[in-house]
Amino acid sequence: MREDKEFYVGYFDEMGPNTKRNIKGFIVLVVLIVVFCAMVFGLSQRPFANSTFEFGSDTEITGIYHEMPYPMLRVEVAENEYKNIVLLGFGKSSINPFLKKIRRKGTRLTGKILTIKGNLIYYNGKTLIQLTDEENVSIKNQLFVSELPIKDEMGRVSFMGEIVDPKCYFGVMKPGYGKIHRSCAVRCISGGIPPVLATKDNEGNDRYVLLTDSSGNPINEAILNYIGKPAKVTGHLERMEDWDFLRLNTGDIEVLDQESGIYVQ
Amino acid sequence: MGLDYQFVLWNRNKKRYDIIIVFGMLFYLFLFTGLTLIFKSQTTMETLLIRAFGTLALLMLHIILAIGPLCRLNTAFLPLLYNRRHLGVSMFLAALVHGGFSLFQFHALGNTNPIYSLFTSNMDYGSLTNFPFQVMGFFALLILFAMAATSHDFYLKNLSPKIWKGLHLMVYIAYVFILFHVFLGAFQQETSVLTVSFMGLGFLSLVTLHIITGIREAGKEKQEYEINVDQWLKVCHVSDIKTNRAKICTIDNGPVAIYKYDGKISAIHNTCKHQGGPLGEGKVIDGCITCPWHGYQYLPHNGQSPPPFTDKVQTYQLKLEKGIIYLNPRALQEGTYVEPIQIEK
Ligand code: HEM
Ligand code: FES
Repeated sequence: MREDKEFYVGYFDEMGPNTKRNIKGFIVLVVLIVVFCAMVFGLSQRPFANSTFEFGSDTEITGIYHEMPYPMLRVEVAENEYKNIVLLGFGKSSINPFLKKIRRKGTRLTGKILTIKGNLIYYNGKTLIQLTDEENVSIKNQLFVSELPIKDEMGRVSFMGEIVDPKCYFGVMKPGYGKIHRSCAVRCISGGIPPVLATKDNEGNDRYVLLTDSSGNPINEAILNYIGKPAKVTGHLERMEDWDFLRLNTGDIEVLDQESGIYVQ
Repeated sequence: MGLDYQFVLWNRNKKRYDIIIVFGMLFYLFLFTGLTLIFKSQTTMETLLIRAFGTLALLMLHIILAIGPLCRLNTAFLPLLYNRRHLGVSMFLAALVHGGFSLFQFHALGNTNPIYSLFTSNMDYGSLTNFPFQVMGFFALLILFAMAATSHDFYLKNLSPKIWKGLHLMVYIAYVFILFHVFLGAFQQETSVLTVSFMGLGFLSLVTLHIITGIREAGKEKQEYEINVDQWLKVCHVSDIKTNRAKICTIDNGPVAIYKYDGKISAIHNTCKHQGGPLGEGKVIDGCITCPWHGYQYLPHNGQSPPPFTDKVQTYQLKLEKGIIYLNPRALQEGTYVEPIQIEK
C-alpha cells in the first residue's frame, strides 16, 4: 500500500518517497524565502549617515577649556580658526565625573589649556570627543588664558527640527535619531550629554543648535519628553564660533504630528 | 521488547533537522550581512547585528507557525513537526541576540538600570505613533523564553500536557506582540512599502493557513452516528478501514480511534498522552499503535505504552455484526484490557 510507506516515524531512518519529495520541496521554498527576505530587509534599509566614531583609537587634542554651559575644548585648527569640541564621558554620561579628580586639585578649569585623549566622533563639520578614563585629562598649562569664545545674540527664532543626543547622532549609533533611537537619546541626555536640535536652514543645509534653559544653564531632565520627535522649538539664538546655542523654555517646544525623522534624514 | 521501541533521544533525523536549521540560519545571516555591507556600508556593527538577528527571528517564527497547519492539511509534512521544538529554541536564541543587543545598545551604560530604562525612557504609552515599541519586544521575548525553557519533555510531564500546551499556545500572543513591536517601531521610521507589504503577506498567509485548517477540522468532527437499541454506535463497515490503520469517530467523550490490525479490531481514545497527537492518524508498527507526531506507542488491546513506558489511554468496547462495527461510547478506564474482536473470514 502506497500510503503506508509514507508513514513517518522520526526515530526510524526511512522516509516514504512522497514524504521525501514534499519535504525537499518545502526546504527549497524556505531557501527561496530566506534569499528574498534577506534582500527585502537588507536592501530596504535607509541609507546611513557617513558619520564616524573612532572607537578603539585614541586621539590627543589640546585646547582651552570652557563651559558655556557645556564642557568644550577650544582648539585652533588653522591660524586664527577655532573649533569647539564637545567633551563627553563614557557611555551615556557627561564628562563631569572624569573631571572631578583634576578639579579636586583646587584649580578653576575654565580658561586653562587642557590635553585630552579620547575617541573622536565627527560628522558634518562638528566634532566631539569621548573620554574613557580620568587619567586621560591633564592640565597642559597652569596659566590662565583669556581667549574664551564670545557668544553673539541673534534674537528670538523658531526652528522645525528634532532634538537629538549629539553623541549618537554625530557618529556612535546609526540611526542616531528618530523613533528607533529615542530611548537611547533619552538615556544620554538624562545622563548629562547636552541636547542638540538638528534642523535645516532655508537652503536645506544641516544646522545644529545646542539647547540650554532660558538662563543659559544646562538642560537635561526637563527636555526628555521632547526628544526624538519632530518639533517646533522657539528661543533666543546665540552664535559662538562654530556652534549655535538656543536659550529656551520647554513650554515653547511644540511636538509636531509628523513622520519620525523627517528633519534629520 | 525490541530496541525499536526505545525512544532514541538523538537520532539521524533529528541531527539532519538540526543541521538544516543551523545552515539555514547562517545562510540568512550571511546574506543579510553581505547585502548590508555591500549596499549600506556606512552601517555600524551593532545595528547590523540587531537587524540581522531581529529579522531572522521574525522569519523563523513565521515558518514555525506555518508547520502546524501544514501538517494537519497534509501528513507528508509531518517530518517538519517531529523536531519543531529545536526550531523554536533556535528562534528564541536569535531573538535573544537581537533583544539583548538592543537592550545593551539603547539602555546600558546610562544613569539607571537597563530594564527600568526600557520601560521608562519613552513614556508615550498613550500614543500610537510614539508608543514605546521596545516594551512589546520585551514581553514577546519573555514568552519565547518561557517556551524555550520548558521545551523539554521533562517539563511536559511535570507541568501536565494541558498546562504545557496552554503555555506553548502563547506563541500566538508573542507573535501579536512582535507584529506591534515592528509596526509601531522600526516601520514608523524605516518606512518602506516593500517591508510593510512583505510582513503583511506573512501575516495573511499564516491567518489563511490557520482558517483553512480550522474549517477542515471542524468538518471532520461534525459526524452523527446511528444509535441502535443498546446504545451502541454504528461506525462503519470493517472493510472501510485499511489494515494497520484506523478510523476516527467523534463521540461525546471526544475522538476515538478504531484500529484494524492482524485480523482484529480494537478501539482506544484518539488523543496521545504526549502532546495530544491524533492516534487514529497513526499506524500499527510492530504490534503497537504509533502516534504520527513523535512516535509514542500504545498497545491496541489495552491502550498502554509498552514497558518501560507507562503512558495509558482510555479503551472502548467494540462489536461486529454482519461486517458492521459498533462502538460502545462508554469509555473504560485508561489502560483497561479489552479482548480484540476477530474479523470473521
Ligand atoms: C528585549 C526585547 C527587545 C528589544 C529591546 C528590541 C528592540 C528593538 C529595536 C531597538 C529595534 C529597532 C532596531 C533598528 O531598526 O535599528 C527592533 C526592531 C525589530 N525587532 Fe526587536 N526588540 C526586542 C525583542 C524582539 C523580538 C523577541 C523579536 C522577534 C522575534 C523582535 C523582532 C524585531 C524585528 C523583526 C525588528 C525590525 C527589524 C529591525 O530593525 O531589526 N524584537 N527591536
Ligand atoms: S503527540 Fe507526540 S507522540 Fe503523540
